[in-house]
Amino acid sequence: ATMWTDSVMLAGLTLTAIFVSHTAGVSAPGRPRLTGCRSPEKETFTCWWEPGDDGGLPTTYALYYHLEGSETVYECPDYRTAGKNSCFFSKNNTSLWVNYNISVVATNAMGSSVSEPVDVDVVYIVQPNTPEDVRVLVVDDDPGPYLHVSWEKPLAADTQSGWITLVYQLRVKETSQDTWEEYNAGMQKGYNIFSLLSGREYAVQVRCKPDHGFWSEWTSPAYVQIPDYMLREHSMWIIVAVFAGFLLFVLTWTVNVKRSSVKHCLLPPVPGPKIRGFDPHLLKSGRSEEMFSALVTQHFPPTSSYDDLLVEYLEVYDVEKQELVLGVKNEDPLAPTRTSDNDSGRGSCDSRTLLTERYAEDGDKGGADRQLGQCVAELASPPLEEEKVEAWSTPFSPPPLHLQRQQVGGARAAYHSVLEIPCDSPCAPGSYGHQGESDISKPGGRGASTTLAEPQAQSAEYVEVQTVDHENVLLLRPLADPGGPDVDYAGEDYSKIRDVIPDNVLLLQREPSAWPCAADPGQDRGERSCPTALQELMQPCKPPGPLQQGLRLVANGYVDASAMLC
Amino acid sequence: DNMFLQGWLGILFCSIHGMLGSVLDCEVGGVHCTMSIEMLLDRAIQHAELIYRISEETRTQFKETFIPLALVTQQGHADHLCTVILPTPSSKSEVGQISDKWLLHSVLILVQFWINHLVDLQASLDHYDNTPQDLLDKTKWVSSKLMSLEKGLLTLIRKVRWDVLLFFNKNSIADHLASPRTMEHVMRDYTMLSCFRKDAHKIETFLKLFKCRQTDWPGCSFY
Repeated sequence: ATMWTDSVMLAGLTLTAIFVSHTAGVSAPGRPRLTGCRSPEKETFTCWWEPGDDGGLPTTYALYYHLEGSETVYECPDYRTAGKNSCFFSKNNTSLWVNYNISVVATNAMGSSVSEPVDVDVVYIVQPNTPEDVRVLVVDDDPGPYLHVSWEKPLAADTQSGWITLVYQLRVKETSQDTWEEYNAGMQKGYNIFSLLSGREYAVQVRCKPDHGFWSEWTSPAYVQIPDYMLREHSMWIIVAVFAGFLLFVLTWTVNVKRSSVKHCLLPPVPGPKIRGFDPHLLKSGRSEEMFSALVTQHFPPTSSYDDLLVEYLEVYDVEKQELVLGVKNEDPLAPTRTSDNDSGRGSCDSRTLLTERYAEDGDKGGADRQLGQCVAELASPPLEEEKVEAWSTPFSPPPLHLQRQQVGGARAAYHSVLEIPCDSPCAPGSYGHQGESDISKPGGRGASTTLAEPQAQSAEYVEVQTVDHENVLLLRPLADPGGPDVDYAGEDYSKIRDVIPDNVLLLQREPSAWPCAADPGQDRGERSCPTALQELMQPCKPPGPLQQGLRLVANGYVDASAMLC
Repeated sequence: DNMFLQGWLGILFCSIHGMLGSVLDCEVGGVHCTMSIEMLLDRAIQHAELIYRISEETRTQFKETFIPLALVTQQGHADHLCTVILPTPSSKSEVGQISDKWLLHSVLILVQFWINHLVDLQASLDHYDNTPQDLLDKTKWVSSKLMSLEKGLLTLIRKVRWDVLLFFNKNSIADHLASPRTMEHVMRDYTMLSCFRKDAHKIETFLKLFKCRQTDWPGCSFY
C-alpha cells in the first residue's frame, strides 16, 4: 500500500509538474544546429552552431567530438575565443586528415537535446583570412596612368613552408558604377590595372583561396582617384581634327569665292550660237548698222585689187616653132598617143584631149604643130601624170607653152608651168597655110583661130597679166623690156582665156591681132622668122631673153624663175 | 665547309638524343636523368594535384550513383576506417619535425599503396550493374597517373642521392582495409574512395612541403 501510494504520488507530481510546466511555457531545448566549421590556416579551426528553441529556460550548450577510429569523446576546449555559440580548436587539438565527429548538446532545466552530428576533416574546410595591407598606387606612364595594386598574405597563413598555397584575386570598379572587373593574380602579390578613365574614382578589393578550399572574404575597398590626363592619342586626334576642319573651311571659302568658275568647270555652259564679229549687244541695242558693218570684213569680197590673186606676167612662147623643129626632126607624127608628161605645168598643149583634138583637126602633122600655137596657160598646175611628152623632151627644147605665174607674196610653190611662146612666128593666120586648111570648126570650138603669134625679132616676150575681167579673160600687157630686143609693142596685149580645163589649166585664146608682130604673109616668112626664134632656141644655154634670165628651162617643161638652167 | 656542316649536324643530333634520352631516363627512373630537381618536383606536384581532383570527382560520382540518401548519414562511420596506413604527421608541427627523406618516403608509400588497392577497387566496380563507364575510366586513369608519379619519385630520390632501398620498407605498409564483413560492398568501396581522396591530398601537401624545403620556389615566400 505504501509503495502504491508513493508511486501514485510520484505520478501525480510528475503530471502536475508537466501540467505546470506546460502552462508555464517551459520545455526542453530544441535541437541546436551546427552551421559550419572553418579553418583559416589549416592549423586550427572553429565550429559554429545556432541554438534551437531554448524552451523558455536558460540553456547551456556543449560541443562534443570524437575522432574517427576512436571512441573517446572530447568536449570543446575553447568556447570563448571564437565568440558566442562557437568552439575553437587550437593547434594542439587539430589533427589533419582525420575526421572529427562533432555534435552540440543543448541543456536546460527541462532537458537536453542533441544536434545532428557532423563530420569534418580540417583539410577540406580551409578558408583563409582576407589579404592584408592592400595598397593602390597611381603610376604615371606614357599613354596614361595606371594603377599598381599590392597586398600581403593573410595573417597566420604559412606559405613559407609550403604548408598552404594561396592564389589571389582582385576586383576593381568605378565608384559610381555597379559592375566589378575581376582579375586573377595567381600567387603574386601585386597587379597592374591599365586603361582607366581619367578623373574618376575607383575602388579595389582583394581576396585569396588555398589550392583546395574556399575563397576568403573581400578586403574592405581601397579608393583611389585617377588624375586628369589627356591621352596622347586623343590630343593628336584633336590636332588632326582641328587641322582638317581648318582645311575644310579654307576649301569651302575658296569654292565659295570662285563659285562661278567652279560652276563653269563642273557644268560647262552649252555654247550658244555665235558669229564672229557679231555682237549680240549691238543687236539688243538696236543699232543694226553697226552690227552689220561689223559683219562685213574688210577684204571680202575682193573687189578692188586683184593684184594679189593675179599673175604678174605671162611668158608666152610660141610653140609652133618648136613643133616645127620637132616635126623636122622626126617624121613621127605627133600621135594622139603623145601625152603630156607627168609633171605639172604642161599646158593644154600636152593635154590629151587638146592634142587629140588638134591632131584630129588636121591629119597633117605639120598642121598639128601649128595648132599648138594656141596658147595654153596653166595657172595652177597639177600634173597630168598619165601623159608623157617624150616628143617634147629634146635636150634643147624648151617646154611648150607654159605660163609662169609669179605670185606676189604667194606661198604656193612656184612650179607653175610657164607658157612660152618662143617663137616669133607671125601671127597672121595667113602664115599658116595649113591652118587655113584646117578644119577650124571642130567640136568645142577650140581650134578657132589658132594662130601663133610670132614676136618679131624676139624669141619670147613677157606679158603681164593686168587683170581678169568678168568673162575670165586675162588682160595682158607686155612687160617693159629694157634690155631686150627692140620689140615695141604698142597697146596692150590681151589673151583671152578660152576655158579652164581640169587640173586648173587655163586655156588662153590667142588673138591674132593681139600680137603686133610683123607678119609676113606666106609660110616662108613665117618660117623664116620662126627659125630665128628657133635658131635662138637651138642654141643651147642661151636664155631667150633678158627677162627670161630668171627662167629655168628644164626638160620636163617647167620654167622656174628662181634659177638658171641650161 | 662540308666538315663544318657535319660538325653542326652532329652537335644537333647529339643534343636531341641527349634531350630525348634524358627524358627516357627520367621516365624509367634512370640515373642519367637531366631534369632538375625543381622540374621533377613540379611534375610530381602536377600529378598529385590531378590525382586529387580526379579522386574527388570519382568519390562524388560514386556517392551520387550508388549511395541512397538514407545511408549518407552513415558516411562518417565509413571514413574513420582510413586511419593508419602508416604513421603520417597530422599537424603542421608534426610535419615540421619530419625529415625531408621521411616526407618523400611517406609519399612514395602512399602512392604504392594506392596503386595496389585501386586495382581492387576497379575489380569491385566492375561487379556493379550500372557502373558508369566514366567512373571506370577515371579510376583507370588515376591508376596510370599514380604509376607515373611513382616513377618520378624514384627518379627524384636517386637525384637527391638517397638510397632508394631504404624506401622500400614494406613492413610498414599495413593493409588497413581489412574490411569488416558487416559493411556492404558499396559502403566499402565508398570508404575506399574517401580514403583515397584523403591520401591524395596528403601526397600533394607533402610534395609541396618538400618542394619548399628543397628549392627556392617563390610560392614559398614568407611575405
